[in-house]
Amino acid sequence: MTGAKRIDREAGRAYWFMSLPAFVIYIVVMAFPIGLSIVLSLSDYSGGKMFGGEAWHIVGFDHYLRAIQDPWFWNALKNNFYIVLISVFGQLPLGFIFAYIIYRRIVKWPGFWQGILYVPNIISIIVVGLLWQSIFSPSGPIAQVVNDLSTNRFHQQLVAIIGSQGHLNLSDSAIQAVLKLGGPDAPNMFANPIPDLRGMIQAYPSNQYGVLITDLTNLLLQKWTPTFLNKPNIAMLPVLFVILWMYTGMYLILFLANMQKIDTQVIESARIDGANEGQVMRHIILPALSGTMVNSAILAISGSLSSFALIFALTGGGPSRITEILSIYMYNSAFLGQHDFPLANAIALITVIISMLLIVVTKVFESRYGGKED
Amino acid sequence: MSERLETTALGRLGAGFAKALAYAVMVIFAIMTIYPLFWLAMNSFKSTREFQVNMLGLPHVWVFDNFKMAWDFGEFGKLFPNSIIYTAGATLGVIALSVLAGFAFAKIPSRATKWLYGSFIVGILLTLNSLMIPLFIEVNVLGIYNTRFAVLLVYIGAGLPIGIYLATEYIKAIPTALVESARIDGAGYFRIFWRIILPMSVPVATTLAILNITGTWNEFALINILVSKTELKSLPLGIYKFSGSLSTDYGKQFAALTIGMAPMLLFYVAFRKQITKGVSAGAVKG
Amino acid sequence: MKKVIIALMMVAVTFGAMAQVSLNVLNYQQADQAGYQEDVQIWQDFQTQNPDIKLNMEVLFNDPYHQKLQAYAAAGTLPDVFYVWPGARSAVIHEKHLAKDLTKLLGTEYLSHFTGAATNPKNELGGYLAELPQSFTYTSVMYVNKKAFTDNGLKVPTTYADLRAAVPRLKAKGIAVMMLPNKDGWPGQSCFFSTVAGRMVGDKFFNDVLAGKAKFTDKPFVDALKVVENFYKDGIIQRTDNAIGYGEGPGLFAQGKAAIILDGDWRTGAYITDKASGKALISPDDQHNYALMNLVALPGEKFPGVASAVAGTGWAIADSLQAGPKLDAAVKLIKYLYSPEVQAIRWGTGAYVPTRTDVKPPAGLEPLPSLLPAFYAENSKTCYVIDGINGLDPTVATAINNGIVDIGNNAKDAVQVAKDVEAAFEAAKK
Repeated sequence: MTGAKRIDREAGRAYWFMSLPAFVIYIVVMAFPIGLSIVLSLSDYSGGKMFGGEAWHIVGFDHYLRAIQDPWFWNALKNNFYIVLISVFGQLPLGFIFAYIIYRRIVKWPGFWQGILYVPNIISIIVVGLLWQSIFSPSGPIAQVVNDLSTNRFHQQLVAIIGSQGHLNLSDSAIQAVLKLGGPDAPNMFANPIPDLRGMIQAYPSNQYGVLITDLTNLLLQKWTPTFLNKPNIAMLPVLFVILWMYTGMYLILFLANMQKIDTQVIESARIDGANEGQVMRHIILPALSGTMVNSAILAISGSLSSFALIFALTGGGPSRITEILSIYMYNSAFLGQHDFPLANAIALITVIISMLLIVVTKVFESRYGGKED
Repeated sequence: MSERLETTALGRLGAGFAKALAYAVMVIFAIMTIYPLFWLAMNSFKSTREFQVNMLGLPHVWVFDNFKMAWDFGEFGKLFPNSIIYTAGATLGVIALSVLAGFAFAKIPSRATKWLYGSFIVGILLTLNSLMIPLFIEVNVLGIYNTRFAVLLVYIGAGLPIGIYLATEYIKAIPTALVESARIDGAGYFRIFWRIILPMSVPVATTLAILNITGTWNEFALINILVSKTELKSLPLGIYKFSGSLSTDYGKQFAALTIGMAPMLLFYVAFRKQITKGVSAGAVKG
Repeated sequence: MKKVIIALMMVAVTFGAMAQVSLNVLNYQQADQAGYQEDVQIWQDFQTQNPDIKLNMEVLFNDPYHQKLQAYAAAGTLPDVFYVWPGARSAVIHEKHLAKDLTKLLGTEYLSHFTGAATNPKNELGGYLAELPQSFTYTSVMYVNKKAFTDNGLKVPTTYADLRAAVPRLKAKGIAVMMLPNKDGWPGQSCFFSTVAGRMVGDKFFNDVLAGKAKFTDKPFVDALKVVENFYKDGIIQRTDNAIGYGEGPGLFAQGKAAIILDGDWRTGAYITDKASGKALISPDDQHNYALMNLVALPGEKFPGVASAVAGTGWAIADSLQAGPKLDAAVKLIKYLYSPEVQAIRWGTGAYVPTRTDVKPPAGLEPLPSLLPAFYAENSKTCYVIDGINGLDPTVATAINNGIVDIGNNAKDAVQVAKDVEAAFEAAKK
């Protein structure tokens, strides 16, 4: 009896000695800010000295209502969900597959690949943002390649129309055809499109034919730019791609670490018994990693909903707010001149609630379909 | 029946295809990773004038001054030691506290676990940007504004939720039978921690180290709130003095970014072997 | 003997420490902009000239600056001297009266050395002089490459029709008529639409909207948006400009990709010789080919010749400072920063033209920034910069920013954008 009690006491002492330091630091750092954040979200604080300044009061859930009544809130939430989807159904499977390939040494130089796939995690986000902008700029490499190709094609089309006339005194229908190549906005460049363009073409001496074609191409060719980046929903695609690229390596490391715990003898004997890689993966590795999968999914969900810096650097939420996510919406409410701290904190807390719901769903999913870990 | 089929020629063809696909995807990722680093390094040797007309190619004229000026203007000499102190301190703190608490939560039965562990999970979900102002008020009230102590405290506190979560889940997966049999042999929990759990936790500790080192090294929002003296600031705040849409000197800006990123890359390259080994150490032999 | 000297030194040290006042200063400084070294020197000089004042400087830039200022304001620990925007960006300082009223503190005699626009308290969000604007900023200036026009047999444009006529000729040579790099959203409003609105509807319209006597969906405002629509439709501004970041503009303009760029008057500094590297985007010799002009006359404009302008940024003193040596030191610092000598240095770096009237133009000023005083003199009629209108919620300006982007992208027309802006205004009223 006394022995068991002594053991209990030893267990209790060990438990508190080990957990309390972390808990105390955590509470000191996080508890007050979280509490204040909740209070602010329910208040009418309007800036200035928070304690000892102008008085402010608790007004209830007004700001939560304001947030959910704003269509931009739902737009931001939708974008956050895209990020959750790419994280859970993109980063996790890809990270798992990479980890498996490296773990089973299916490719050469597994160490090199592990290294290179993780490096995106350590590239400063400011760099990613700058690079991003210059690549998709209208003077950037993608636009350059596309425009070079379309310039060639445009040349040929012009030569086909003008050359078939044999002279520069073009018929109305030929001028129409040239204008049409320039797209719907082209006639707007002239006061009287057909006579003006004819006049312009006729002004070129016949030995300047090449110059004329070049000039007409400059004038009428619709330059390609990544305009698809301006469309709602589509604008998120490249952002999602960058997210996939940046963070897959982190899950690779997580999965790889946990794969190392699997007894290699089990795998080897399964292989000797005739199981192939697919069967090893399905029957040995996947069940052993289901717990890690759930943990990674939880990290991915919470990370996706609280992410900020990367999208802030990539798009800043633009163009015209279509790539805005909840944290940017929150940030702009708090710091972009509006100093609407109650709204900002309400948005932050709504985000936490949504993450919690998603994580509960994940846990329920795990308990219903998940494999055993031990 | 179907499982047999996979070992036939068709199955091998499929495996070959999968292998090729794996290489293709990994090569794309590798290019996407190496090119930005190369681009950054190239541009840090260009004059601003050249960058504006030649964003993507090699420099025609190599400007080495960019680095010296960036180093001086950014006062990186003062910031570098701080970055090392904060990164090392916060990482060690998070690992030590996480593995300790993770063991308690995973292997020592207690009714408190539900609450303590649950509260850490909430911490994973928070956007730190929403807590900046409350945090600033708190460090002022506590009288630790403008101290390295405050920075370390906050970095450790902010790193703990994920650290404890990963450590607890990792230690949970270590067979309880190992702990039980040691208990029966009369070992106390501290002894078990020291002799069994700690050696087996090298992989999770390594994972936490890489997560925390990169996270802390690049962090700027919290430290901006916690200190005002240049002597206490870290590299990202120096780098931030260079980046803005009104920038007129890209050369210096890229040099500053290169200076900020190079140590991380060198660290990673130098310790890649140890990291791989660390992550895979302590495999459980059943 | 030694002991005596040491004792004397100790007395001197303690005496010195007692007499010393320390000031907390939050400075806004960008390390990769022309004028950085000059700025560092300005602060060092003050420190050497005033050994009795110890400056505790915190230097930040861009978003981190604004975050920190907000944090200080919330904790009630604002630095003694800090840097403030006249409008929404520093709204909390103005609205909560966190800075001293400089009209009272500095006195009318001192302020008589500054232009009327700079010392007019109505130009600041709180309706009092929270900061003394170092500059009065014209936000929509046409930087014109005159040579691009004359080389192609065109006259330098002064009307919308001139711009339209230039489109076919310049575009055929691969030159855009007018560039508006608007990836970031705000330049479309600040560097372009504010003047368009000033010409088409005038400041009174915005006052009427704020008073509930007009709506953004009214025809005049829609017509102003239609002017923007036409600039894109007629090919004067390229739709692709919406993918160009604000930082990329000067490089492209200097390369001759466009004959005109729309930008603020603060940007002349981007083209001149950088002291650190000795390089210029447009060499001093070539700068003679360029002009600074007001936006061309628009068809249907009701207020010809107005240009959007706003009080610039400046220094403020914390309201919490009590009368005493500390406040005296802060005033001394402010007066030093606004002295003709310091202002002349800043003028020379191309940062701005000072609002202080007795500053001598610095020697060796390059041709482009030298054009500014004449530009100001010729364009004295100013109108609101929309994101600087007192009382207009920042979300409304944001809706206008986004609307101009949408028009440029051909995603929305003037009527739809007017509706969006009105909706944002209604939402902000609640």
